[in-house]
Amino acid sequence: MKILAPISSRDELEMLIENGAEELYCGVVPSEWLARYSGAVWLNRRSPKGGSLETVAGLKLLVEEAHQRGIPVFVTLNAPYYTEEQLAWVLDLAKRLDGEIGIDAFIVADINLLMRLSTAELNAATHVSSVAAALNSEAIRFLLEFGPSRVILPRSVTLPEIEKIAHSVAGQVELEAFMLNDGCAFEEGFCATTHHHSVGAFCTNLSEMRTEFEASGGRTLSLRQNRRFGRNLRDYREWVWYINGNGCGATPSGLPYGPCGLCAIHDFLRIGIASLKIVGREASPFKKLASVKMVSDIVRRVRSGAPKLVAIERARSLRGAPEHCDAGYMCYYKIDGGELHEK
Amino acid sequence: MEIALHIQSHRDVAAVLRPEDVGRFGSGAKLRPTVELTASLLSEFFAEANLIKIDRVVYGNEFCEHLIPPLEQLEAVIERAAAERIPLTLVTPYVSDSGIAKLRPLLESATRAPSDIEVVFNDWGVLGLLKRDFPRLIPVQGRLMNKSLRDPRIMGAYRNDSGHEATLVTLRRSNLDSASYTNFLAKLGVRRVELDNLPQGVDCGFTSQGLHASAYVPFGFISTSRICMAAGLHYAKPEKFQPGAPCHHECQSHLLEYTYDNSPLGNRDQKFYLKGNTYFYTHSEQMLRTLFQQARAGSIQRLIFQPYLPMKWERTEL
Repeated sequence: MKILAPISSRDELEMLIENGAEELYCGVVPSEWLARYSGAVWLNRRSPKGGSLETVAGLKLLVEEAHQRGIPVFVTLNAPYYTEEQLAWVLDLAKRLDGEIGIDAFIVADINLLMRLSTAELNAATHVSSVAAALNSEAIRFLLEFGPSRVILPRSVTLPEIEKIAHSVAGQVELEAFMLNDGCAFEEGFCATTHHHSVGAFCTNLSEMRTEFEASGGRTLSLRQNRRFGRNLRDYREWVWYINGNGCGATPSGLPYGPCGLCAIHDFLRIGIASLKIVGREASPFKKLASVKMVSDIVRRVRSGAPKLVAIERARSLRGAPEHCDAGYMCYYKIDGGELHEK
Repeated sequence: MEIALHIQSHRDVAAVLRPEDVGRFGSGAKLRPTVELTASLLSEFFAEANLIKIDRVVYGNEFCEHLIPPLEQLEAVIERAAAERIPLTLVTPYVSDSGIAKLRPLLESATRAPSDIEVVFNDWGVLGLLKRDFPRLIPVQGRLMNKSLRDPRIMGAYRNDSGHEATLVTLRRSNLDSASYTNFLAKLGVRRVELDNLPQGVDCGFTSQGLHASAYVPFGFISTSRICMAAGLHYAKPEKFQPGAPCHHECQSHLLEYTYDNSPLGNRDQKFYLKGNTYFYTHSEQMLRTLFQQARAGSIQRLIFQPYLPMKWERTEL
């Protein structure tokens, strides 16, 4: 089980590897893309500015140094779709990154690109992005036709579902699971919105809008129903605040808040998950470092045999905010309550 | 050009529709003006003597595995559609492994039906299942598999922006633009794809490669989630909003309207609607007229009229 960290600059490389990153992923958006499609059409699910490297030459230096340290680098080509014109451009880019740089894998969401890469005779592997929404064992089996070496499970796949899927596709493909930072209120692969800077994320934008309930069937909502629905809406908006990194906040010691799967690491090792994904290519170097340190701390303990409850206790103490852990809204994965109550 | 009617039970199966009858579908006061406008425009563009001929009925939903209909409901729809000699399309949602298990008996029933049934897939796993275990059913790519952005907050603004031609072309298309993808679909027996009417306009150039296009009116989906706000109603606060959590179909009791009135782009006073786990936008008259003209011109071969948000679920009381 590897720790996969985001990176957006060669300057972050040593820091991330020295503190526990065992795999790296990044994006690259050459200026030709931006000139052609403006900031409205994203090459790789992140705004062209800030979340990605801007030149192939810069990526080459990053990859050379990572490889010298024995660390693989994966590149995101994970837009939900590419048109024919874009596809030709993206395939050329992939061939260049494969041949000139030796990228280890491409992270891909569009099944058309996955299919085309599978016949392009590249050395790089392909990983199916969470944006492809492989939510069940049948979907993974279907996608295996195109030869991916890894499938990234969407955030919404629960721990029991992951275990079942892992059993179902054991030995056929690696599975990667989300571990830290950045939630998504929606099913990422079925969200047709944009995070364009002019409007921001739809899920958080909704919390600022006026609302009105309407009862079905021509009925009128009672005062009691209105209050009940209103309470539930407030709870939902609180949950959205949590998945948005507690309003993009941090603990008093500066550690980032946000969705977290640390308590599930013990289970993931047992299940055979290949990689734990830390989200946030666009995050600050400090947030990336703090995230890698937290995940690495728990992984090290679990690898050396720490019992599950000890690992969970350590995870809660690392987060340093038990009230947020207890809120129940900061967890990627719900850990079996019975086991926790045994403490 | 066909017109299909999305139905919520066997009682809705009908060969014709009068615009003035759409009130019986119970779309609710907030959505009724949009539904009535759509029925009226369908009549203006496609009706004869004020009767909209229904060529097909569409049943099921693409957004929630908890709304997969009970087997008895589907069998009643199959029976009624066969009796009325109206072809049937069954829509299926994106699913977990549990959802796959729920769909299997429905697909078994559909495969035994007297006439061929279309099954709309919105999940690669469902397509895999159809091809392997239910080859008699006709696969149709659902609108969730079409990844064109349709964020109504911003996409409409590109419609009139002549400064970014390459951007607008991209936003109006999808991977259906690529012959390798349409060939892939053809090899799997997929001859029809479903679309939303996009705020920025929809480019159906791909139909020249032999695919048929169906478009839904008058609601487009914005986003959907395995985490349902309505399902949270019956959970204690810390237990709310878990992916795929069991529910009591709380979504059936109400609708939530959002008013978006602080847009930086000038397109103020938009309304969005949350039903269960999915957000929808409504089509404006301009969007409907443009789409219907495309249908008249032959680039869209089927319009699917949904006189309510497609999140209906009924208990088995036949």
